[in-house]
Amino acid sequence: MDFQLSDDHRMLQDSLRGILTRHTGEALWPALVEAGVPAALLTEDEGGFDGSGAAIALIFQELGRAGVALPLIPAMIAAAAFAQAGQPAEDGAALAFADAEPGTRHDRGVAISVQGDRLTGRKTMVAGAEGAAAILVTTADALWRLAPDAPGVTIRPYPMLDGQRGADLILEDAPATRLGAIADFGGPLARGVLAHSALALGAITAAVDLTLDYLKQRKQFGQPLIAFQALAHRMADLAVEVEQARSAVTNLSGHLDAEPALRDRHVQACKVTVGRVARLVAEDAVQLHGGIGMTEEYALGGMIRRLLAAETAMGDADWHLERFARGEPAFA
Amino acid sequence: MDMRFTPDELAFRDEVRAFLKAELDPGLARKVRLHDELTKAEMEGWHAKLQARGWLAGNWPTEFGGAGWTPIQRHIFEEESARAHAPRIVPFGIAMLGPVLQKFGSKEQQDHWLPRILNGDDWWCQGYSEPGAGSDLAGLRCAAVRQGDHYVVTGQKTWTTLGQHANMIFCLVRTSTEGKKQEGISFLLIDMDSPGVTVRPIVLLDGTAEVNEVWFDEVRVPVANLVGEENQGWTYAKYLLTHERTNIAGVGFATAALDNLQRVARAQVHRGQPLSQDPLFAAQLAEVEIELMAMSTTNLRMLSQAAQGQAPGIESSMLKIKGTQIRQRLDALTRRAYGGQASALPTLGNEGPDGADEALSATATWLNNRKLSIYGGSNEIQRSIIAGALAKG
Repeated sequence: MDFQLSDDHRMLQDSLRGILTRHTGEALWPALVEAGVPAALLTEDEGGFDGSGAAIALIFQELGRAGVALPLIPAMIAAAAFAQAGQPAEDGAALAFADAEPGTRHDRGVAISVQGDRLTGRKTMVAGAEGAAAILVTTADALWRLAPDAPGVTIRPYPMLDGQRGADLILEDAPATRLGAIADFGGPLARGVLAHSALALGAITAAVDLTLDYLKQRKQFGQPLIAFQALAHRMADLAVEVEQARSAVTNLSGHLDAEPALRDRHVQACKVTVGRVARLVAEDAVQLHGGIGMTEEYALGGMIRRLLAAETAMGDADWHLERFARGEPAFA
Repeated sequence: MDMRFTPDELAFRDEVRAFLKAELDPGLARKVRLHDELTKAEMEGWHAKLQARGWLAGNWPTEFGGAGWTPIQRHIFEEESARAHAPRIVPFGIAMLGPVLQKFGSKEQQDHWLPRILNGDDWWCQGYSEPGAGSDLAGLRCAAVRQGDHYVVTGQKTWTTLGQHANMIFCLVRTSTEGKKQEGISFLLIDMDSPGVTVRPIVLLDGTAEVNEVWFDEVRVPVANLVGEENQGWTYAKYLLTHERTNIAGVGFATAALDNLQRVARAQVHRGQPLSQDPLFAAQLAEVEIELMAMSTTNLRMLSQAAQGQAPGIESSMLKIKGTQIRQRLDALTRRAYGGQASALPTLGNEGPDGADEALSATATWLNNRKLSIYGGSNEIQRSIIAGALAKG
């Protein structure tokens, strides 16, 4: 067995870290495109050059650690799904993915219905919907391609928890193109779960590192906080759980191309493990910091918010645990 | 043993319910339920209604204008108020400073300050924590130097809850650096309008700014505003903290959160039926409800001991830990019940998804209630207190 990064992936990691150190805000996206980061998320067949689980895991971990809020995950999922359906890829353009619905925890097709090739209803928390060239939409059992400027489409934007712009998508008899059954798109959707989980893992790592630094620096009762056994043990427990999350992400990235039943077990196990650890870290990192961890101006806050957002994207730990226990496919 | 309320207590509960039904505006109750930030006028308005009924200071003896309630009556009032989503009584004047002045203040201080707390002339805030002294309160440095008839105060306080509304602050200040750290602290009442006082809001993760930093730059405070004796402030602070820890279990708040979660779970769809019918979710909900049932009785057992004059010991630490665990668990389950909808930015007043203010409030509440296990002596400190008492046997 070899869990080391390949030379290509090590170079990718180095260049990505360099970019994330040098560029912020609006300058970041062009720099990432120029470095070929979006293309590394897709296979050659899909118009990219890598698309492996290892590349996806690596890239999103780095982005998560750096706290980047870009709608790169929906763009990746949508591009892969469009390619699989033989639809033209929108080269370099923003793509959105409309999955969550109001009124339901994580079910699909509750607030949205299909009549022929027209969609009516509502999707919520659609990252990057404003300015997207195309939107991938889930219904009860199918995937659809929707043009944002099609008749009957209203986009109502707002800021989201993780720093991105999201939107409600309100559809009234809006024409869309059916790409196929959700069950046939397990591959692109599994990549999305991997990306969200790796992003969460990056934020988890950053939050735990920051917390450890704080416990070493902050003094109370004449000693650094890390000298108090109760806090030290809690930190040790967190470190153990972070490795569990890292392994769950590794498992899924290594099984992205496995046969669907096995891949889906890893999709579910990854969401369950990372979701649980994300929640634990979000709670414990704030607690170990005390009040400062609750403030907007301290760096931990943004990490916590991104953890909470990643936790609920594409089904949370409870939802995937239930499907794992029942032996159901991850996406159907 | 009789676990039922007495006929008098039941009658009192009916009175409280009738009052809440008649006096609590549904719009205000909705804001409280969604954890929206209340305006100063809304909080003062609720205080005034309670004061008109003689119920603002349930914990004060009648000789000082309070209601003189038993611990059980206070529990009933707090639980019914929380379940009805009434605004919480702002604790700084009523629950914290009032009892300290009643026990340690001079007659002049009592006559001047206590009526002003009840009639709303003063809005008090608390100046305890400092950037270098959180749970380790004895390490505080904000200094008061006596010059004739005044103390001159210089230093910084932090986590000053609702300090932006306050005209008065009660502070722990260092008046001596000799001897044990605890022995050089005094309890001082400071006018926030004095020259040299600066208040800066601290924005929290849920977008609210309920806490503040307060700076004192050579602020002159009349010696008449010293409570008790110089360098004896630690004693008064500890007394205040035991009062702060009343209603520490938060049974009413947990019950209200449970009611809300059950309502959400009935409305959310999961596998074509209400989420409340989902076995996995129903089991999680049941577990926390069972925890709450036990904790509620633990709370009543301790209240009943207190009513019989037994001082609470480590029990209040136990209630702090279990009570905050239950509330935080309810908050986490509520977020999970909303699923993907709980990912909007919970900045209050922000434009959010249509009709989703309840989902938005679930995340805001989760973020804001992280404080429960941190403030008032963190849960780690409470565990140390329990372990220390167990070790002493």
